[in-house]
Amino acid sequence: MGGLSSPARPEALDPAAEIDMAKLLAARRTAVAAAPYLATALHALTIVPSYGVPTMAVDRYWRCYASPAFVAMTELPDLAVVWLHEVSHLVRDHHRRAERLMERSRNHKSAGTPALDPEHPLAARIRMNIAMDCEINDDLVESFGDETTVKLRLPKGAVTPMGLQIKNGALFEEYVRLLPKLVLNGDLAWVECGSGAHGGEAPWELDGSGAQAIGEFEAAAIRFRVREALLDKRRWGTVPQGWKRWAEGGAEPMQDWRALLGSTLRGCLAAGRGAGDYSYRRPSRRAASLDGSVVLPSLRSILPRVAVVVDTSGSVTDADLGSALAEVAAICRSVGAHGSQVGVYSCDAAVHTVQQICRAEELNLVGGGGTDMRKGIGRAAAARPRPDVIVVLTDGFTPWPADNPGGRVIAGIFGSDSRYSEDDDDDDYAPSLPPDWIETVRLCR
Amino acid sequence: MTLTMPSPSVATQTTEIQTADRLIALTRVSSTAPGTDPAVQALALATAANLPVLLWGQPGIGKSSTLTQLADGLDLPLETVIASVHEPSDFAGLPVIGADPAAQGVAMAPPDWAVRLSRTGKGLLFLDELSSAPPAVQAALLRVVLERRVGSLALPESVRIVAAANPANSAADGWQLAPPLANRFVHLAWVHDPEIVVRGLGGTWPYIPLPRLDPARLERSVARARSAVCGFLTARPDYTHRMPTSANSRGGAWPSPRTWEMVLRLLAFGYAAGADIEAIALAVRGAVGDGAGMELLAFLEQRDLPDPEEVLADPDGADVPARGDRVHAMLCAVVDAIKRDATQARWEAGWTLVARLAELVPIDLLVAPAMQLADLRDPLWAAPEQLDRLSALGEVLAWAD
Repeated sequence: MGGLSSPARPEALDPAAEIDMAKLLAARRTAVAAAPYLATALHALTIVPSYGVPTMAVDRYWRCYASPAFVAMTELPDLAVVWLHEVSHLVRDHHRRAERLMERSRNHKSAGTPALDPEHPLAARIRMNIAMDCEINDDLVESFGDETTVKLRLPKGAVTPMGLQIKNGALFEEYVRLLPKLVLNGDLAWVECGSGAHGGEAPWELDGSGAQAIGEFEAAAIRFRVREALLDKRRWGTVPQGWKRWAEGGAEPMQDWRALLGSTLRGCLAAGRGAGDYSYRRPSRRAASLDGSVVLPSLRSILPRVAVVVDTSGSVTDADLGSALAEVAAICRSVGAHGSQVGVYSCDAAVHTVQQICRAEELNLVGGGGTDMRKGIGRAAAARPRPDVIVVLTDGFTPWPADNPGGRVIAGIFGSDSRYSEDDDDDDYAPSLPPDWIETVRLCR
Repeated sequence: MTLTMPSPSVATQTTEIQTADRLIALTRVSSTAPGTDPAVQALALATAANLPVLLWGQPGIGKSSTLTQLADGLDLPLETVIASVHEPSDFAGLPVIGADPAAQGVAMAPPDWAVRLSRTGKGLLFLDELSSAPPAVQAALLRVVLERRVGSLALPESVRIVAAANPANSAADGWQLAPPLANRFVHLAWVHDPEIVVRGLGGTWPYIPLPRLDPARLERSVARARSAVCGFLTARPDYTHRMPTSANSRGGAWPSPRTWEMVLRLLAFGYAAGADIEAIALAVRGAVGDGAGMELLAFLEQRDLPDPEEVLADPDGADVPARGDRVHAMLCAVVDAIKRDATQARWEAGWTLVARLAELVPIDLLVAPAMQLADLRDPLWAAPEQLDRLSALGEVLAWAD
């Protein structure tokens, strides 16, 4: 198992004739019986026997490559699990998520190290593949622990978070960061699941025009079916937690919060009264060509005022605050608002300081008690001249004002594991959601 | 100003310049091949359907050159208007005061590009940098895009409108697209494909062929598109109008009666042209947004399965879907139909279908339906003669034990 390289074979051997197709298909049937919610996806796969692939792998066009030798030497229940594993890569859209993660690592500008090393794409692929295997396999174990389902178990040597001694139940984007530096030891099976997983092309793969390629949108339709099957309440009993989360959309990879915060803030700055638009304050010079008999407006730009209310109640780390503030300051600068146009309010249970800033570095934050962002928002809205946009940076454990104080309000809410917070029943104070009139952006790592 | 005699070096300079120009011309020589990219096909589909298209893409990825190719391919004159450098009056018409404004009113004179388009009667209007246009300009563009009126001039019906915009996070001075304007476009994400760029620099750029409409299928396509959209909206009336809650997505595609009308036209064109499902999907999602588009296509996929009764009537000749999961769905529907009205003839037709499929698709798809079919057997019926064509099924079953 694992990284066996394909031995040189004479051309005459036809993998399609060599492979034990009945066994492979019987294994798929077992897989369908064990996880009926994945039936659509499993049936949609096209099988391509190949000597190039060491074990089994999928490509982004929903073709499953299988090695005749691997099929012959693997027991049927194990083979069924491999089917489930490979199709999970595709259903969970790993290859596109991998591309996004690579892209983000490549464009990484802020503090900290990127999740992947874009300089070494091959190493990055293997890391991602192992992380993806963790994301899939922790659920496979969960689903087969139950006696009522078909007796399947995870094959020996399969990558699991437990085996790597990292926390369970995360997404691969998180696992990539959690993986120990050196994970390649001999025991890890199937670390090469093809372009359907890590997005990089494997040497045995056919191109997009080959046998029965399924495109992005057909694939999306298949995912939609799987999601529907999972949300079918009658089957809730046998569905593993991880798949439930996926179906409810809780397992969608987070968009980069910088992009989200940036576009929300820009949108608000643009839509607020402060942005450049046509105004009659100064007539257009074009009016001269009309003999001056018509007054035309000209493009005027008024700088927007921004107030940033910062939660300094101790539950937010300085590093988080710093990076979010830097982002806000940079965006404000890029639209021309700086100096006295941007006010920062440090706030916990009361407002501590008010500063006008040019750069985030000039800022000092005071506070560290309880949390009441209503005070900060009220204070910012009461300032004259009034801010066009109020940005609130908080961990969300705060009451929110009942009425819109005027102007636009954006809430940037910190939280690293917000996805799984519903599992923590012992949590005394759940974060209260901001009201509708506040644009909410979740700021995650 | 003093006149100087031309020095001998001027002559050589001129030839140098000419040689340089020739070299530049040589680097521009390229041939074209039809583009197969779904995004390109979706653009062609929407252009053929005469729906305004908005291309979203980073600066410099060749949106403008794509438009030049599109215009060349359609043999239409291209009028490029950079929306962000124009004033609202350039789209709403420049007021021209006549002799007696009180009696005659003020004429709103159209700019020259609109007059050119109107005079030729055809053309491709390309509105570049749409997202950098201030809200007032965007508001002025509403009438141009939807009603094709520039000032007091009406653009001919056959003029195609394509716009381009940079995503808000790549343009620091970018505006959110106003929701009413966004709702009038088919939104297509434009990305550069490294392969196409390499092939283009090597001398072959893709051109955008218009979908070839089959005249014999026009009526049928419209009927099919109508029943598709109406069927979906009957099942999911909540999708008839759904404005996104977040400000970001309001500047994109979202479902509204207007965009559903666009979907109807796109589907009719897609069906009539026999277009690739990927291209249709891209265009439909560009019109009503990802969520609604996805649900519509999943709905259609399920609905477009062959009718079980028709399959039973002709099990040897019925169309078989290409994808395994759809074959399985079709077979399950057929078995259900037999279950509802179990006669020996229908039951045997079911076996004929199973035996035929056994040669076409992976055999494991047939196991569960075949076992259900076997359970339906009346003790008086003879074993189906097709069973000997199903030995492969037995092999799979043997493994399962």
